[in-house]
Amino acid sequence: MTGMERVPMGPPWSVDLIADLHAGVLPPEVAAQLRPRVEADAEAAEILWALDATLEDLHALPPIPMPADVAARIDAALAAEARPVAPVVSLDEARKRRNRRLGLGSGVLVAAAAAFGIVFAVAPGGSDQSTPPAAQDSPKPTSAAQAEPPLAVKESELGAAVGEVLKAQNYGPLETPDRLAGCLQGGGITSSGKPLGISPINLEGRDAVMAILPAGLGQYRLVVLDPNTCGPDKPEGVLEDETIKPR
Amino acid sequence: MITLAKVRSVTAAASSDADLISAHAAGDPYAFAELVKRHRDRMWAVALRTLRDPEEAADALQEAFISAFRAAASFRAESQVTTWLHRIVVNACLDRMRRRQTRPTVPLPEAGPGEPVAPRDAMSDRETSLMVQQALMELPEEQRAPIVLVDVEGYSVAETAKLLGIAEGTVKSRCARGRAKLAKVLGHLRNRIADANVPADGVNVQEQRQWEGR
Repeated sequence: MTGMERVPMGPPWSVDLIADLHAGVLPPEVAAQLRPRVEADAEAAEILWALDATLEDLHALPPIPMPADVAARIDAALAAEARPVAPVVSLDEARKRRNRRLGLGSGVLVAAAAAFGIVFAVAPGGSDQSTPPAAQDSPKPTSAAQAEPPLAVKESELGAAVGEVLKAQNYGPLETPDRLAGCLQGGGITSSGKPLGISPINLEGRDAVMAILPAGLGQYRLVVLDPNTCGPDKPEGVLEDETIKPR
Repeated sequence: MITLAKVRSVTAAASSDADLISAHAAGDPYAFAELVKRHRDRMWAVALRTLRDPEEAADALQEAFISAFRAAASFRAESQVTTWLHRIVVNACLDRMRRRQTRPTVPLPEAGPGEPVAPRDAMSDRETSLMVQQALMELPEEQRAPIVLVDVEGYSVAETAKLLGIAEGTVKSRCARGRAKLAKVLGHLRNRIADANVPADGVNVQEQRQWEGR
């Protein structure tokens, strides 16, 4: 500040100059001299009033709630980001599980590996080094995923499938969100928006669909449906319904 | 029985934003989503009002929240969680605005002689809000962002200057320009005054620049 700023001559003054005065842009000593002169002029005072009215309009703008579809999309992205990499199991238990699964098809092996975040370092016999390990494949789009065998899940280890299901939006035999909504309604389960993840599974030899739904305040609801029997008014089609709560 | 529940850490007891950030840093997979849930409506309003396009606003928010998720573990409580999160969102929006800067700005509508743009007293609150929102959308981006933050969201000039990375004088000056345009579009300025006194943007520019850096 030099103390020698020029006080703009007037009236009249431009709207921009009065807007500067109103917004506190002018140096304090200029503003102090200009303000009483502006307020004493009817036309300039009217501009000040108009700027005040504009501010009131802006302050009064209502909040804009995030649309449900955007909220669901962001929830799903964060859920995928927070996806548990691998449940904590002992080495012995992991070996037992691996040995049990080695007898199953390679598709199940891949699915189980992906669910546990495990990369198998040893390629199956006959494959060469140029073949990338199957477990490192990126998630496939829904149409491709439908062609793969469904994820094999044990009733006692539903939680282990959560990571894989969260990556999918594959309605499988349920086909549409409407069918899913009907099946959930049959079980008295209310849920708004898209599931965070949904995928066909093989539940101990039985075709089923697992859906993971938001259940408020850091909670998730894991639902397993029988696509052959579920529907509105058919609670028997809900095979599993568990809320996953923080401790 | 859900075995996964047994390995989850605590979210339920976390109540403040700082608690949630700490829980997130400690590995709670739900804490950050809860933090976002608390603030997402306000962030959405900022993103939508700044970027104008819902799809772009959604993309910017998703990008911002994922970036915040990854950075949150190193967050230090020197600044408020909301300010920190807001800064990430505003930066994501500004990045998008800069990337599309070649897009022409929609010109402000011209008022007919002697008539306000719209008869104010006949409008319901909702209609007024829509009109204000529409007018805001038509401001140039460099004026809209500070007006959204200062006049709509209630941030101080100093906070806004930090968020936008510009001088406080520039925030005030851009707000002044934007408010003058809005006053005309919203019909608060009689057109006789506006036509006579609202100059082209170039008028007073020299004095303006002299004062802006303060």
